[in-house]
Amino acid sequence: MTQAEIKLCSLLLQEHFGEIVEKIGVRLIRTGSQPLRVIAHDTGTSLDQVKKALCVLAQHNLVSYQVHKRGVVEYEAQCSRVLRMLRYPRYIYTTKTLYSDTGELIVEELLLNGKLTMSAVVKKVADRLTETMEDGKTMDYAEVSNTFVRLADTHFVQRCPSVPTTENSDPGPPPPAPTLVINEKDMYLVPKLSLIGKGKRRRSSDEDAAGEPKAKRPKYTTDNKEPIPDDGIYWQANLDRFHQHFRDQAIVSAVANRMDQTSSEIVRTMLRMSEITTSSSAPFTQPLSSNEIFRSLPVGYNISKQVLDQYLTLLADDPLEFVGKSGDSGGGMYVINLHKALASLATATLESVVQERFGSRCARIFRLVLEKKHIEQKQVEDFAMIPAKEAKDMLYKMLSENFMSLQEIPKTPDHAPSRTFYLYTVNILSAARMLLHRCYKSIANLIERRQFETKENKRLLEKSQRVEAIIASMQATGAEEAQLQEIEEMITAPERQQLETLKRNVNKLDASEIQVDETIFLLESYIECTMKRQ
Amino acid sequence: MAEVKVKVQPPDADPVEIENRIIELCHQFPHGITDQVIQNEMPHIEAQQRAVAINRLLSMGQLDLLRSNTGLLYRIKDSQNAGSVSFYLSKMKGSDNQEKLVYQIIEDAGNKGIWSRDIRYKSNLPLTEINKILKNLESKKLIKAVKSVAASKKKVYMLYNLQPDRSVTGGAWYSDQDFESEFVEVLNQQCFKFLQSKAETARESKQNPMIQRNSSFASSHEVWKYICELGISKVELSMEDIETILNTLIYDGKVEMTIIAAKEGTVGSVDGHMKLYRAVNPIIPPTGLVRAPCGLCPVFDDCHEGGEISPSNCIYMTEWLEF
Repeated sequence: MTQAEIKLCSLLLQEHFGEIVEKIGVRLIRTGSQPLRVIAHDTGTSLDQVKKALCVLAQHNLVSYQVHKRGVVEYEAQCSRVLRMLRYPRYIYTTKTLYSDTGELIVEELLLNGKLTMSAVVKKVADRLTETMEDGKTMDYAEVSNTFVRLADTHFVQRCPSVPTTENSDPGPPPPAPTLVINEKDMYLVPKLSLIGKGKRRRSSDEDAAGEPKAKRPKYTTDNKEPIPDDGIYWQANLDRFHQHFRDQAIVSAVANRMDQTSSEIVRTMLRMSEITTSSSAPFTQPLSSNEIFRSLPVGYNISKQVLDQYLTLLADDPLEFVGKSGDSGGGMYVINLHKALASLATATLESVVQERFGSRCARIFRLVLEKKHIEQKQVEDFAMIPAKEAKDMLYKMLSENFMSLQEIPKTPDHAPSRTFYLYTVNILSAARMLLHRCYKSIANLIERRQFETKENKRLLEKSQRVEAIIASMQATGAEEAQLQEIEEMITAPERQQLETLKRNVNKLDASEIQVDETIFLLESYIECTMKRQ
Repeated sequence: MAEVKVKVQPPDADPVEIENRIIELCHQFPHGITDQVIQNEMPHIEAQQRAVAINRLLSMGQLDLLRSNTGLLYRIKDSQNAGSVSFYLSKMKGSDNQEKLVYQIIEDAGNKGIWSRDIRYKSNLPLTEINKILKNLESKKLIKAVKSVAASKKKVYMLYNLQPDRSVTGGAWYSDQDFESEFVEVLNQQCFKFLQSKAETARESKQNPMIQRNSSFASSHEVWKYICELGISKVELSMEDIETILNTLIYDGKVEMTIIAAKEGTVGSVDGHMKLYRAVNPIIPPTGLVRAPCGLCPVFDDCHEGGEISPSNCIYMTEWLEF
């Protein structure tokens, strides 16, 4: 783990879970897998606290454990999983677009709690939704369950591995740590629960649910004591599936930018059809025949079969090479070239960074070297039509920033510089890695700045919070308008201004973190799929 | 009494006669004649006389001495050169053979010119001599020096009345050794606008996609005609020039190219294929990293918490937050 990644992980852990968890987590990331006692000893925290911290981390899938020989259990932190915490807002937003508020809240609860049983999720979400609804209306459990089932069917949530039920009565001592297993088939199987009920509104002290006799109150508490029907079956959000969805989105928008709306819809249909059938790391989707695609087009699009065929031919012939033709049966079999698409997107990211940092002439030289693979300095000047001095300057600048590298080809065995060819080349994988590292550091910088801004104005924030609390309590006890006005004036106008600026800055920094995370996603997907191919 | 040996000279042993005969023979065989052929023609002439005649013709510049794999060939110099040679002879009556040699070498280089060091290699003359001779020739207005665009310190020499070749002067993009960047930029933008408007009209025509796409393409010939008609270029531009400009547009990521097979004879086809160009949009918008100040920061590597440059006191961030 690089220094930048460790720094970022420590910032994230601290923000979400607090100091102690951060200390333990960073220790584990830095030193790999360690047993419990060693962690406690090295970090100087008490065993009890270490246990609690590890509990929190394991609940959120940030730490895994393994039983080694001689019964020693070692804990290992998953650094990449910690970095996923940056992407939570994007996951939640995606679910909102696909499954509206209910889905959004389900995924939010799962992400915030790590693992939950289905009944717990449904109950919580129903309660939350009921609060936001108008008076008198409540959210039915059935609706929430339906959304949950739909999420499980499309693989956005999955079951966590659980302790296997041992049929044989093993008389030996239980192992120090259970090994969790999950059957492929069961991963998305929703247990048959009959969850009946409605969401409950959180009652504030004076809101009287009229008609509810007080006798009913004890019954609710007994409800909680009943055994939950699906105890032991925990669910978690399936991040891989979300990543697949993001990747599909990126491909569709790239096609829309390059061609037109209809082509992007066709590509979206093709990707939707291969969502479940293709694994996320496959280089190509399953071949889809043109007839199938025609049948699966969304209802609003009534284009004729011929036009569809033309579009598919155009897509297959496009220099982008996102879609390829793999056969002629069934009206033409088409596949989507996932690896090529990711490579193109990563290259476009690199080009965009070069353009913004160094200027469009540099971007021209960069694309030239990318296309020609290896090229001499003299040829760069000729092809790019840029004066020699400027071209030289730009090449050296990009070389020093590690976007390019030099390949030496000696003419003589003694490698004399005057008799050697020097060719410029771009290695996309290493440039992507370099850029990824820069992204991590940038996000760490943005988070630090945000914390700094908040700390600077801590006094002001506390004051405004106190004032709000006072106002709320006074409103509850029915104070007069004049008194409320007086309290509000405790915050002066310039202070109000400052608060506004602070809010705006924090929002901007937050939004920027999410934007940089989009770049991280593209680069990471590209690096992952290239490494798998090798 | 000693007998006076009288050398019987054959009737046409007059040296001038011999030379004329040899010239006639050369005219008969414009590709060159060997010594053997001359001997066959005039068997009664001794080898020595023959050699003298040939040497005279060579030094007068009317014959060329060539080497072939069978032996030596003598060829008549063609009349044009012979004319200029006599012209130069009249000027160089007093010059020595070295100058003639240097002149010969420069002439052979044609319109690409030749560098002084190469002249030295070919003639094996010392540097000082070469320089003297070159100055001489230049003052007599027989050769001229042209600055090469490739290496600005290098001067190549060529005959006075020849046009320098494109590779030396750089062609249409160079005027007096200066690369004309604004000219290239203007051409760049004009070509792009042309292709963009073509793509727009194709998109708006709303016909079936195949036709739409095909009509958004423009061949290099069309672009060339458009630019010529625009008349923004003072210099005559060829289709290859336009293709180099279109290539720079490809490297800008604004245009894509395909090659299709075209019948020989359709306008603009070269060797049976045509290049088609089309304006395109970039496939992703500017990426997230460059929207944050850290993506473009020049002192990124020096920045860390607690240092001179840190995220807390970053001036770029402060400016960016104030937008």
